[in-house]
Amino acid sequence: MDPNMFFDQTAAAVPAPIWFVQFFKVLGFTLHAVPMNLWYAGLLVALFLHVRGNENARHFGGRIMRQMPIIVALGVNLGIVPLLFVQTAYYQVFYPATILMAWTWLAIIALLIPAYYGVYLYAWGCKNGEKLPWWKTAAGWCAAGLFITIGFIFANGMSLMGHVGHWGELWSDNSVGGAALGTALNIGDATLWPRWLLMFGLALQTTAVWLLVDVEWLDGKAAVPATAKQALGDGDSADAKQASDDYRRWAWGFAKKLHTFGLVWFAAAGSWYVFGTWSAGLRESMFQWPMLTITAATALAPGLPWLLMMVGGRRRAVVIFIALAQFGVLGVNAVSRQIAQNLNLKPYWDVYSLPENVQWGPLVMFLAAFVVGLGVVGWMISRIRKCDPAPQL
Amino acid sequence: MHYPWWFVPQLTAPMLIAVIATVHVLVSHYAVGGGLFLAVEVGHAYRTRDRAYLDYLRGHAAFFVLLTVVFGAITGVGIWWTIGLTSPLATEVLIRTFVFGWATEWVFFVVELIAAFIFLYYWGRLDEKTHLAVGWIYAGAAWISLVLITGITAFMLNSGDWAVDPSARNFWAAFFNPQFIPQTVARTGGALLLSSLYVYLHASFFTRDSRLRDLIAARSARPAMLGAIMITAGGFSWYAFLPDSAKATLASAAVLNVLIVLIFAATIIVFAMLYLGPYRNPGWLTPGFAILLFLLGLMAFSTGEFIREAIRKPFIVYNVVYGNQIFPEQVPRLRAEGYLNGGLWTRAFAAEHYPELMVEGRIDNSKLLKLPYKDRLALGEVLFMHHCNDCHAGSFGYSAAGLLLQGRPREAVLDTIKRLDDNFFMPPWCGTEQEAELLTDYLMTIKSPPPAGIRLWEKPGGANE
Repeated sequence: MDPNMFFDQTAAAVPAPIWFVQFFKVLGFTLHAVPMNLWYAGLLVALFLHVRGNENARHFGGRIMRQMPIIVALGVNLGIVPLLFVQTAYYQVFYPATILMAWTWLAIIALLIPAYYGVYLYAWGCKNGEKLPWWKTAAGWCAAGLFITIGFIFANGMSLMGHVGHWGELWSDNSVGGAALGTALNIGDATLWPRWLLMFGLALQTTAVWLLVDVEWLDGKAAVPATAKQALGDGDSADAKQASDDYRRWAWGFAKKLHTFGLVWFAAAGSWYVFGTWSAGLRESMFQWPMLTITAATALAPGLPWLLMMVGGRRRAVVIFIALAQFGVLGVNAVSRQIAQNLNLKPYWDVYSLPENVQWGPLVMFLAAFVVGLGVVGWMISRIRKCDPAPQL
Repeated sequence: MHYPWWFVPQLTAPMLIAVIATVHVLVSHYAVGGGLFLAVEVGHAYRTRDRAYLDYLRGHAAFFVLLTVVFGAITGVGIWWTIGLTSPLATEVLIRTFVFGWATEWVFFVVELIAAFIFLYYWGRLDEKTHLAVGWIYAGAAWISLVLITGITAFMLNSGDWAVDPSARNFWAAFFNPQFIPQTVARTGGALLLSSLYVYLHASFFTRDSRLRDLIAARSARPAMLGAIMITAGGFSWYAFLPDSAKATLASAAVLNVLIVLIFAATIIVFAMLYLGPYRNPGWLTPGFAILLFLLGLMAFSTGEFIREAIRKPFIVYNVVYGNQIFPEQVPRLRAEGYLNGGLWTRAFAAEHYPELMVEGRIDNSKLLKLPYKDRLALGEVLFMHHCNDCHAGSFGYSAAGLLLQGRPREAVLDTIKRLDDNFFMPPWCGTEQEAELLTDYLMTIKSPPPAGIRLWEKPGGANE
């Protein structure tokens, strides 16, 4: 079936400049990726550490679990931005791809609600280092499984968007009277699996960086595991400092191992993705100047936070650079994905050839609200920074 | 016609929106009204140094965050998910028109979310003034979210000049549509009323102290009654600014008559219960009373949302997109060139399964009636799915075509199709004469026979013989 049959080239005008749509789509995805990485792999890591780890590991596992409800809320919220802008300019690929797999796509919502409540159940059990009842532990593990499943469904939807050539076959096999049953899955697409796994590798790295951010910046003066605190007398500051040093040493050591593991995972999945599943045309485009720079940057960027972690020394200031570098890794990855998506779709849906009818007034209203919103959020954060110690989540 | 159609057996795909939207509004209005409640009441508790009330409010804030931030926020995203799957063309139009309205609403949603977490998790650790300011930031951001979303949903019910005057095809004309103010007033009132009902429900279960329970009952009664008055005022102006077709649907559909009576009855009962109960006799606030009040409130709300969805027919966006994903301006071309030709996916279906119909990539309508009967049926089913299934299940289910047509002879069914919009709440027939024949062939296979025992005079030995 000729995929061109599914496209109407007399497209309506886009209400914003295409560069603006692309910018916010990429920025939104990058911002979404930070919390998403933390629930995608971080939740699993935290559960392992909390259940199986030593005292330091349990301390961090408990902390990230208590942070998780806020992380999930922010992640879901930030995910709205790329989804809004993908529908603004890519509607002729987004809607058909998701309709073909409608039940599974809709299942994201049905899975997200129990996953989120599962996180809350586990997080509330993590207070005061007490032993969790089995059902709260089970809720945490179920939530981790549900988030990984949601990631798989997302990878399905996004890969199907970019692979229009699969639509006809999936539609024929999953329809009645020409209407989609919504039961298709893009599992026959070779790009799906490395794409899904690649994100998991990035998520492991982001979790490692978050561990350092938490230890050096968020846990602050309270960086002593609860059980160690109980064992120490209130005035025993030397022992407290020792316990804090032990925890920091453990955290840096574990973060290095986890990041290295994530890096190897990313390299393996990325190589499979690029050399094993990309079409010859896409590979040729992405390996030619000037795209070669972004391809190389995507491949090499994860090495930068790793390098800083290995040679930068255990210093608070270094963690800022590591975190910025990891954010850059996610950003470069998002840019690279966007370019690959545009190249894949170009024969059918060239976003750069879409007419524009820019709504300047509403655009300015959005930007003004964005700036004011940032100011209000900044003010609230400045107020809570004066509170001490960290809140009981 | 650009998109594939999603077949949801029995229920029909758009009914999923009604289900999810109804569930969502019951929480999202609380997310707005509850924010105002917490800001006002925490301020009162700080001023009166009422520790017990503050403790209660802290517990209520945890319940509030757990319900609105998780269930409310995710079902809100769920509506977005569902409209894209079930009404893609309408969603495309709405996004194109309101992308920056939605983007601005997202900014307020971020502010709302962060303020909610800070308000709850930093309770007792922020100074009172700052804590209260954060509460008001939440309340303000939540209400602005309501206003922004209402502009979009109100546009769906009455698009005003936007649809008929090309010079008015801009964001502001769309946003400030005739339904905007009435619905904003009604929804603000709904938020106030519903949040009080949630408060009563929560307080009746979690407050043992009778002084505190009486205080909560009395203080929440006034905003609740104000909310009921705003709903009534908003409701009347909502009716006044309805398009004529919506008023006619409301007047002529028996089920909607019943639902309107139900709303009025439930609203009056809720108002009376609020006045006689929490306002005059705060001691009446028991779990049983609170549950009954809550359920009546939910009933009125759910019914209102269902009516809002139902009276838009035959449009999904009034005067802009028909329920079956067609622009009104497309109708003449579809009638001339064929419905199957007009849809990307219907044409692809024909090209894949019946290449003999295709001439230079388009369906030759003159060949349709020469197809064998089983192929006519297959294409008739395609027409049914893409033209009718947005509102009608097949032989059985929601507003099933097979049941609506039961007992009608073929010529009556064909006539019904050709004169579809004689019923003003139905979209016009958008195909050729040949396609009407194919659709009729298919409908005759899913049509039920007339119920036994009705036409007594036709039976030997019947009453008239």
